[in-house]
Amino acid sequence: MDTVVVLKQFITEVIGEEFVEEMDIDMNSSFTRDLEMDSIEIVSFSEKIKAHYGDQIDFTGWLSNMDLDQLINLNLGMIVEYIDNARN
Amino acid sequence: MSKFLFVVPPFFGHISPTLSIGASLIAKGHEVRWFGITPLADAHIPAGGQYVYPQDDLVKHQDDLQKILKRQDDGPSCSGPEVMKLALEETYVPVARIMMEPLCKVADSWRPDVIVNDCITFAGALCAHIKGIPCVTTTPVPPDVMGDAANSAPKIFEWQENLIKGLQREFGVYGDDIVIHSHKMNIVFTSKEFAGVTEPMPHMRFVGPVKGRPNNAAFDWDRLDKVTTPKVFVSLGTLLVDIRAAFFKKLIDAFADAPVTIIAATNPDIFEHWPDNFIVNGFVPQAELMPKMDMVICHGGFNTVNDTFTNGLPMLITPIAYDHFHTAKLVVNAGCGISIRYKRLRIADLKTAVFELLENPQYRTAALKLKDTFTAAGGNDKAVQLLEEFADSEEILVAVD
Repeated sequence: MDTVVVLKQFITEVIGEEFVEEMDIDMNSSFTRDLEMDSIEIVSFSEKIKAHYGDQIDFTGWLSNMDLDQLINLNLGMIVEYIDNARN
Repeated sequence: MSKFLFVVPPFFGHISPTLSIGASLIAKGHEVRWFGITPLADAHIPAGGQYVYPQDDLVKHQDDLQKILKRQDDGPSCSGPEVMKLALEETYVPVARIMMEPLCKVADSWRPDVIVNDCITFAGALCAHIKGIPCVTTTPVPPDVMGDAANSAPKIFEWQENLIKGLQREFGVYGDDIVIHSHKMNIVFTSKEFAGVTEPMPHMRFVGPVKGRPNNAAFDWDRLDKVTTPKVFVSLGTLLVDIRAAFFKKLIDAFADAPVTIIAATNPDIFEHWPDNFIVNGFVPQAELMPKMDMVICHGGFNTVNDTFTNGLPMLITPIAYDHFHTAKLVVNAGCGISIRYKRLRIADLKTAVFELLENPQYRTAALKLKDTFTAAGGNDKAVQLLEEFADSEEILVAVD
């Protein structure tokens, strides 16, 4: 399955279907500003990534090395790219 | 007897506990003054105390200061990392910069024995460091909001350190030590059990909630006495002005004519008409009101959190921004409440949560346990004892020098 499809599914599970319906999620959607994820939601999103991809993806480690501007600008496309690169 | 100077930020939630311990210090015969850069109504100042507002010195900073205050309205719509920038880079550091000159003048002229700086009011400890005045920090919120940032988010930790060290250097303090907080004593207004801190560093002193600040707000007690349904207190605190109407609209949608009574602390002007089961006042005598309530809904402002558990009440916490999320996690961990993030708040969930909290006794039992940890922490008496001991021991140190 396409990484982006998997991640969109995780986003829906984390923030709830009815909130996702009001959003147009695309590769440019920012996690903080557009999806308005808080730290608890990002943690539960990370857990889903870990459960699905296993140890080959260190998503939390990748996030923890970011500075504030990188976190503010983090979007879906960047995560898809990170996961796809790490798996190849 | 000693002279204590409290250095407070332009946010009432942080000022409030200092007014309570200040009142207790005055009652013991100490001299107490507060220093702040926004006016504070006389009614809030404990009798015998004095609030120093350096109006003339602030004229040149007034534009910047008003911009900083206005910027706070953006907080609720900011993401976590944006709020960190807003808080540290756009608020705490520039506020300290504005405070330093007039604060140092006050320190020189009044010569306090101890400067007590609020944890986000960096100028207090920085001025104390420069002038060689003993310093205590007060922390109204559970510490460790950031967790172990040095390891878990090294770049963010570095950004924080650089901003603080940059501020210190502007005022001639070089080197790697952080001096914007006291390393000798930090008085925290919650219990270590609630904060989830099992082995606090020795200078962190958890005294629990403090009370007793002047509050003369009027209230229609007769109307409250006639209420027969469960009483739910709702407060959004003193900030977050912009989202008040949206928040209370949700409450009206959920509870208009439901078998509960909502006692709300907010300006009634936001709606022309309130349902009959809503009692709404701009200002309330919160400490007197709380013991008569059955539960509380709030966003996690820390004074309301303290008032709630001091009375052993269950809570629905709807975190919006800032440290609310951390507080919400602590409430859930303690088992004394339910957390629903404000941005994901559905009317149906709001209703379910409120009736669950009112009907399931487990939350109330957990809240009463928390109350015991607050009581055991010592409150005003403990805070005063710590401050007196600190002042005395620092005096001896000065004499030995």
